[in-house]
Amino acid sequence: MALSLPAADPSYFRDVRPLLQRQCQGCHQPNLKSSNLDLTSYQGVKEGGKRGSAFGLLVPFLTGEMKPQMPLGQPPLAPEQIELVRNWVAAGAKDDTPAGAVEGPALGAPTVYTQPPVLTALAFSPDGRMLAVSGNREILLHTLDGSQPPRRLPGLSDSILSLAFSRDGSLLVAGGGVPARFGEIQFWDLPAGELRRSVMLTGDTVFGVSLSPDATRVAAGCTDNSVRIVDAVTGKELTKMGAHENWVLGTVFSVDGKRVVSVSRDRSAKLTDTATGAFQENINLLRGELAAVARHPSRDIVVIGGEDRYPYVYLMDRPKNMKIADDSTLVRKLERQNGAITALAWSADGKRIAVGGAAPEVNVYDADTGARVAACRGHSAGIYSVAFSPDSATIATGGFDGTLRLYDAATGALKKAFVPVPLEKATAGAGGAQ
Amino acid sequence: MPSSKSALSLLLLASGLTAAETPKVNFLRDVAPILNKTGCTSGPCHGAAKGKNGFKLSLRGYDPQFDYEALLYDLSGRRFNRADPARSLMLAKPTQQVPHGGGLRFEIGSAYYQTIYNWIAQGVPFGDPAKDSVRRLEVEPKEILMHGPGESAVVKVSAIFADGGQRDVTKEAVVESNVPDLAAVTDASVKGARIGEATLLVRYQGNFITVPVTVLNPKPGFAWKALPQNNYIDRLIDAKLERLKIQPSPATDDAAFLRRVSLDLKGLPPTPAEVQAFLANTSRSKRADLIDRLIASPAYVDHWTLKWGDLLQNSRKYLGEKGAFEFREWIRDSIARNKPYDAMVREMLTASGSSYENPAVDFYRVTRDPKPTMEKTTQVFLGVRMVCTQCHDHPFERWTQNQYYEMAAFFSAVGLRPGYEVGEEILYDQRQDYDMKHPKDGRVMNPKFIVPATWSSAAKPSDAPPTDAGRRQAYAEWITARDNPFFAKSTVNRVWSYFFGRGIIDPVDDIRASNPPSNPALLDALTKDFIDHNFDLRYLMRTIANSRTYQASVAANEWNEKDTENFSHAVPRRLSAEELMDALSLATGVRPVFPEAPPDTTAEQVTDPHVGKDGFLDLFGRPARESACECERRSDLSLPQALNLVNGKTISDAVADSAGRVAKAILSGRPDRDVVTELYLASLSRPPRAGEIESGVHYLEGGSGRAARAQDLLWALVNSKAFLYNY
Repeated sequence: MALSLPAADPSYFRDVRPLLQRQCQGCHQPNLKSSNLDLTSYQGVKEGGKRGSAFGLLVPFLTGEMKPQMPLGQPPLAPEQIELVRNWVAAGAKDDTPAGAVEGPALGAPTVYTQPPVLTALAFSPDGRMLAVSGNREILLHTLDGSQPPRRLPGLSDSILSLAFSRDGSLLVAGGGVPARFGEIQFWDLPAGELRRSVMLTGDTVFGVSLSPDATRVAAGCTDNSVRIVDAVTGKELTKMGAHENWVLGTVFSVDGKRVVSVSRDRSAKLTDTATGAFQENINLLRGELAAVARHPSRDIVVIGGEDRYPYVYLMDRPKNMKIADDSTLVRKLERQNGAITALAWSADGKRIAVGGAAPEVNVYDADTGARVAACRGHSAGIYSVAFSPDSATIATGGFDGTLRLYDAATGALKKAFVPVPLEKATAGAGGAQ
Repeated sequence: MPSSKSALSLLLLASGLTAAETPKVNFLRDVAPILNKTGCTSGPCHGAAKGKNGFKLSLRGYDPQFDYEALLYDLSGRRFNRADPARSLMLAKPTQQVPHGGGLRFEIGSAYYQTIYNWIAQGVPFGDPAKDSVRRLEVEPKEILMHGPGESAVVKVSAIFADGGQRDVTKEAVVESNVPDLAAVTDASVKGARIGEATLLVRYQGNFITVPVTVLNPKPGFAWKALPQNNYIDRLIDAKLERLKIQPSPATDDAAFLRRVSLDLKGLPPTPAEVQAFLANTSRSKRADLIDRLIASPAYVDHWTLKWGDLLQNSRKYLGEKGAFEFREWIRDSIARNKPYDAMVREMLTASGSSYENPAVDFYRVTRDPKPTMEKTTQVFLGVRMVCTQCHDHPFERWTQNQYYEMAAFFSAVGLRPGYEVGEEILYDQRQDYDMKHPKDGRVMNPKFIVPATWSSAAKPSDAPPTDAGRRQAYAEWITARDNPFFAKSTVNRVWSYFFGRGIIDPVDDIRASNPPSNPALLDALTKDFIDHNFDLRYLMRTIANSRTYQASVAANEWNEKDTENFSHAVPRRLSAEELMDALSLATGVRPVFPEAPPDTTAEQVTDPHVGKDGFLDLFGRPARESACECERRSDLSLPQALNLVNGKTISDAVADSAGRVAKAILSGRPDRDVVTELYLASLSRPPRAGEIESGVHYLEGGSGRAARAQDLLWALVNSKAFLYNY
């Protein structure tokens, strides 16, 4: 049993590493190296930063003996967590990582792809010239005219599940994390392509990260059933809403940025005040888990969808007084899809809604009539992400098969298909842990 | 979806991406078995109906397509990482590199780890069901014979795939014993723990095979002593007993036989006069003659009407008062005329029109909906439980979820509407929205039998439109066909259990490959005989009752005392609630009173559980008729029952009744010896033995209050095991 460690012995792998991962690596990582310190590997802890090896510094900074107390701007760690670190240092600060436990390659070395990764997030830059695409432990920035090779923005998160540009194109927000390890929101400065900030939150990936229209705040769906609003400048958590009863998979701000709609595996969509975190409205008459949400570009109307395969268009505001269990905000129910819905997008001109899901196709609907105007076919498996270009003419789609496809939004005709990561041939005998 | 997967594989191949020197693995052949073996798909874990912690797999992996999609497609492909396979959640969780509620399932670098790693590295191919599905299993050895407890054996399991390939799957197969305290299983090794027989169920990827295990009695000195054989039942029972070194008990004495056969055939013990006449009868054929007389008696009709009323759930709860009465009359008439059993079943299954004009329609009124109706037809008429397959494929049988809905489709258009009279309903085949839809994808299921029958009916189920009674006609033909592999067999098995307290297959209404008969040759012979005699239930019962096996004594010998399933001796059975009440009535001479029923109604004659509700009958386990399961009737002896027997009003009132047997006997002025004898005959259905007469007389003479003392004696007799049990 390589992984069974005696419970009494302080362990780097079991106790200290996960703690550093969740609490410290947002800043002390190769991309940011606050205080020139990288806490993403044992080696980094040992070597330390500008004040020398972190072995002796971890506890004083965590307890506040040394200032500023860590984690910076966050509540201090629980005494028993600090005790774990203290005991580990006292016992010699040994590395007991079992052979074969994989921490992932160092950030300096971008992923070498032998197979296309699943494509989980796509976003067009506001000028329509760039397309941000999720990779493994990185984001790839493609130029749509193909004039340059993609720029690679490596980060801590294996999975990038959401991407959003600010309206002025100077900020790219990415949400994701490593499943069952941590969630992360990355803030990238453009055009420099530098990581401005990384906010670590929760013990699992964050879903459905969205940016407020004024680019001041970010909403994230969390596996602790919360929606968190994070300040896009300081990285501080502003509000945490806890009205959902299962994982939150999608969020979108209202036009004025004062409210947020979230959808969850609890089968409900909820409307919340972002300033106070106060719950305002519910859509809970649906029979399947909800996975995706998108908003009209200039009106407070959203489309939601999930397990029951129907995209529903709802008003955020009630046209009349509420009655219990009424459904008066429902504007339209679009046609049933061939699989559970996982991705939704509303075109910038407000005229079209694109729907992707477990079936290998993306359907495009007239947002005013609900009529299907195009079907984008060619994927060999389910869709995880769809995005309209800023001129509403093109739809980008990606999913399980790892191929990025660009379609004409009016006709569904394929414009281009390519694997958005550089592929290498598999090395002979690519094996497991050994 | 398989096409999309192969498209992806092609894409990868074209790019030269597949890992070249690692073994080719796919989900169907390599990965799905690991999920099952390591417990991921088990009921308490991700196989639970709602999954576990947001991740759901099919129960025991019955639906590989579903599991493949759950593992790979859910939540944006969260559980695997094609770019860096070792970082996949599906490897991090079972190796506990991240917290996992299910704990450590396998180690990093283990064979299972490596297989899943390679599978992800190779692009998660699903495999081709036409090549990579398991077609059948082979086991070695095919049966296990041990010469005594303490021996052990190892089962080797091979899977034969659709493409003809073969693989040793002993490690991944699940081996279970149906009698774990007899044949104890650890992995694929089985150890004999005690004498007797068990069956191993070997499962792998939805396939299963059984291995019989026999542990012989190692005790030296067994010498078979042949007993008289009355008919083929005894020959087939003896053949097995001799092989297992079990010496059967001889036939019981006349009084015990008379009581046993009277209770079993007509639900009543013999009267004192019947006991005395039978004991005095010197005819060599008196037992066979008695059996004939009992089968021809009116009480026989009452008794079997009650039994069928239970199975067909005749109750005013479903049918209304008049309906329950009419349905009972229909059942009673069928029994009284000894209607061939297949005809009786056909009449119910094809019934149409008014429930008052044709009470056979009530069969449908009890369950009303196509699905429970179908479940009832298989459980009652075939002994096959389909209920699990409503939600998932049967874990221990070959029945699939698809088959559940295909079978239910035979009844999909059966509708009921109110008739002209109060409580009347009309059955018709024009129900609204009659399509039987699969719950998963809503596709319309066409009727199809779980096993094809080769009967020569003109009706082909799939040809009949849904709104045509032809579907039910075809179903009735199929179910009652002579070559239906379950119909006659389950019926003889069920009837057998009424005479022995246990079926040759047991439980009687759960026939499946993993629940084999204890004596297949006997079950086959009874089945054939029943069919050859045109599904004649009276003939079947007569044959059973005439066997020495049925007439065997409860007294065991050193060779058969541990036998519980081979019918080598009789096993005492508690009287049913109705038998007990009527036996008390006979013993005390006081009729029960049912306010809802005509005067002089016996417990065996009541219409339905509404009569005498919440009283003595329900306390003693009368079924509420809310289930078609034989198990609904309770036959244990509970503390409240024991207290009722000792203290309850039913017995104390009856014993002390001024018009009862004790009062009359005392008033008649007959001598104590006669009174004691009568009380024994009326309660235990036998004369008192010498010592019993002496102590009885002694007690009656013991002082004042002779009547009270006689009441005490009768009270003691009806509280004895010899009264409470059929032995």
